[in-house]
Amino acid sequence: MVKVMIAKPGLDGHDRGAKVVARALRDAGMEVIYTGIRQTPEQIAQTAVDEDVDVLGISILSGAHMKLVPKILKLLKDKGSDVPVFVGGIIPREDAEKLKEMGVIEVYGPGTPTLEIAEQVKSFVEHSNA
Amino acid sequence: MSNTQMREDEILEGIRAHDRRALAKMLSICENDPNLANVILDKLEKKRSHVIGITGSPGVGKSTLINAILDKMNQGVGENVNSIKDMGTATNKKKIGVIVVDPSSPFTGGALLGDRVRMQSHATEENFFIRSFANRGALGGLSPSIYEACDAFEAFGMDNVIIETVGVGQSEVEITNIADTVVVVLSPDNGDEVQMLKAGLMEIADLFVINKADNPRSQILLSRLRKMMITGDKDVVICLTNAVTGEGVEKLIKELDDRFFQILSNGVFSLKRKKRLLHHAQSIVRRELDELIQKFENDGTELKEIKKRLLEELCRKAHKNGS
Repeated sequence: MVKVMIAKPGLDGHDRGAKVVARALRDAGMEVIYTGIRQTPEQIAQTAVDEDVDVLGISILSGAHMKLVPKILKLLKDKGSDVPVFVGGIIPREDAEKLKEMGVIEVYGPGTPTLEIAEQVKSFVEHSNA
Repeated sequence: MSNTQMREDEILEGIRAHDRRALAKMLSICENDPNLANVILDKLEKKRSHVIGITGSPGVGKSTLINAILDKMNQGVGENVNSIKDMGTATNKKKIGVIVVDPSSPFTGGALLGDRVRMQSHATEENFFIRSFANRGALGGLSPSIYEACDAFEAFGMDNVIIETVGVGQSEVEITNIADTVVVVLSPDNGDEVQMLKAGLMEIADLFVINKADNPRSQILLSRLRKMMITGDKDVVICLTNAVTGEGVEKLIKELDDRFFQILSNGVFSLKRKKRLLHHAQSIVRRELDELIQKFENDGTELKEIKKRLLEELCRKAHKNGS
């Protein structure tokens, strides 16, 4: 059983995307923990560790991704977790590249088919367990 | 299944040293390999926690109520009672484990675990540990590895283990087999008097909570509940709460502490624990049986023969495991 966490850091309340993805992953047979809007990086990292999730998805539409994502990645590392992280939202292409260089496994923009996300999420977990 | 593996001895050592990561990994073992979990948990000493079950229909405010309980406990409400002599003397903050269960899909096996949304303000508290479980098809509103998970929290030294069931209907009463105290949460729109008279959920309450007490209709529910109690043989405390504002929650915590003190002294606690052990064993046997049935290919055998073969297989398995 694949256990995923979908989290929304920062101050924007646009949770439609996070909910659509959470629902799609649920329908693909995964157990999805949704933690709601306006989470701090600390809350997200600690929850991912406590819930021992296989993969973490972060949704940001506020433009603060270059601040928030590195913070979450660092906190996870400090807590001894190497859970794969993917990001979704409004992320400019050049930022997406930078995020990937920092260790984010994939970045999804608007219009990505949910089935594609589900398939890839499953493959991230397989790779990280291999 | 988890990203970084921990060896069994690391988990044992970690739990003894109160390392959260070890508990997190232990709980994953409980979910994915409960038999192994039982072997590991057997090696750990367990604290005598007060196991509190919170149950009720979807949307009555179970998760929000737990959040309010955690809020108050963080402010120092509630006594750290682990024995009768502790009563009234303990002052340190309570360590609390929370198990929240949400339903799995019968079609895909997937689940959306959303109880945490209401409790996220406590995600980083050192003395609290919240963990989500999918019910993975188990009947009764709990997870198939609920006994193992509860043991793991007790091994971690929690003062309270709070278990939130899935939103239940009328007949999901499994929680009464594991919890020392069952809290049935109702909200003012729970239906008329006949609903109060029905067997099942309404009978298992050790404590009733009428949540959303700011709704004027809660007074009607209160009088109906009282009337029901007059005609029954069980006198159950009723607390009115507003989980969003925290109103009435202090009293609820006090009632829970009183109840724990009471069951410790009148022998109900040890009786409950004996029963819990029996139901834990039942859940293990049930799991073995489920596995057998999944593998069992019915090639047109008769009912009697199927039953015989299943029982024989079960015995063979038990001998092989030496258990």
